[in-house]
Amino acid sequence: MPRLLALIFLLQAFLIGAAHAKKNSPLELVVTRPFLEMHTGPGRGYPVFYVVGRGEVVTVLYSRTDWYRVRAARGEEGWVRRNDLAATELESGDPAPIPPYPDFTAHRWELGAGYGVYNRENLVSGDLDFGLTDSLDVELVLQQAFGTIDSRNIVTIGMRNTLVPEWKWFSPTAGIGAGYQKISDNVPPAPLESHNELAYASLGARGFITRRFMWRFDWRAYYVFNQLNKSEVLEEWKFGLAVFF
Amino acid sequence: MEIRLSSVLLAALLLSGCGWFHRGDKGPAPIPADEPQPEPTIIEPQVTRRVVKTPKIKSKDFELGAYYGALSIEDFGTNPIYGVRGAYHVTEDIFLEAFLARSKAGKSSLETTFPDITVISASGRQFTYYDLDVGYNILPGEIFLGRGHAFNSALYVTAGMGEVKFADKNQFALNFGVGERLLITHWLAAHLDVRDHVFESDLFGLTKNVHNVEATLGLTIYY
Repeated sequence: MPRLLALIFLLQAFLIGAAHAKKNSPLELVVTRPFLEMHTGPGRGYPVFYVVGRGEVVTVLYSRTDWYRVRAARGEEGWVRRNDLAATELESGDPAPIPPYPDFTAHRWELGAGYGVYNRENLVSGDLDFGLTDSLDVELVLQQAFGTIDSRNIVTIGMRNTLVPEWKWFSPTAGIGAGYQKISDNVPPAPLESHNELAYASLGARGFITRRFMWRFDWRAYYVFNQLNKSEVLEEWKFGLAVFF
Repeated sequence: MEIRLSSVLLAALLLSGCGWFHRGDKGPAPIPADEPQPEPTIIEPQVTRRVVKTPKIKSKDFELGAYYGALSIEDFGTNPIYGVRGAYHVTEDIFLEAFLARSKAGKSSLETTFPDITVISASGRQFTYYDLDVGYNILPGEIFLGRGHAFNSALYVTAGMGEVKFADKNQFALNFGVGERLLITHWLAAHLDVRDHVFESDLFGLTKNVHNVEATLGLTIYY
């Protein structure tokens, strides 16, 4: 653990160093509305403490959620709402390059976590998805199931197809994949097999909530490739939240 | 005869020489009336457009850091705990957070009263957990220090789940917490957190939900 902490601090130092080393020319925008309000914090309740007038230039430093930290010509730094900054222009007269919200149907990456039940045991699940097309995703799922006798770590990789990707609020999904599970005992005796390969088929649904949020539901049937003389099929369901980029 | 031939040749040579002097300025060639006039060609200017690169706006939605504090392990006393945390701010209200921490349990009152009894082994005293949480900034605001300083802050609540590894057992645990974030600068934040890790335990024969409350202080950096 101290080693991990040291690594984190080293990483922090490196990231700060890297951030300082890469000094791009900052983005400068011209206020075209009568004024641009600067808030003291990145939130709707923070008061306006400075107003930039029409025709003045502001330097955009970085963004945090829906807020942008900007510096006015006189050096004041504050937070500007995304929609207000989107109404400014580049010095060339082009609209400000404020990236739009990621499109739900065409997004590329998803990062999610959820709760579920695997083989009648509590399950914690985390997943990373990459969209090959609007409807076809590759998903990597890391899970941990907590049973009374054993605890299992499961990693799977598979393909998931969103059947009607243009349905925003509810769209069924189906998928297949393969994986690996590691079984460790909570109470003796040790399990007959400490690890297995798995294959699964899944059915589920997903939908948009707001901004970058989506919900996901998944039911999976796992076929366990064991060395025992009987086939083992495990059932799993889970519900989770995901953020898309 | 020979002289006449050579004078003709000389004249031809001279004439061709005169032609050489006038080689540049050719008069407009008479266009035969019956031939179609060629299409006038439009000259496309060969200008390469300058690519204007607008700088990308960096987003700093991630928060990474470490924390240290005290964890009260039910039946096993209060002990120091240290860990790392990482958060992703999705909106100004909602964030997702992950924690990874370690502590070591002390002796239960049973073990101190009867030193011969061991409830858990030495390796089982390690208390480690990871948590995946959702947080909500319920009371964002500013904290004032004297006249000249104002710090952005937020009181937040978190809830989530994860694993607690204790007494050589991997346990599913829920956690609920409340915390205060104080932004010392716009990139550095101090955290004060109180969180409860709840899981089922049967170490003393009776299955019960144990509450393990921690109070920690931490520092995070925004990326």
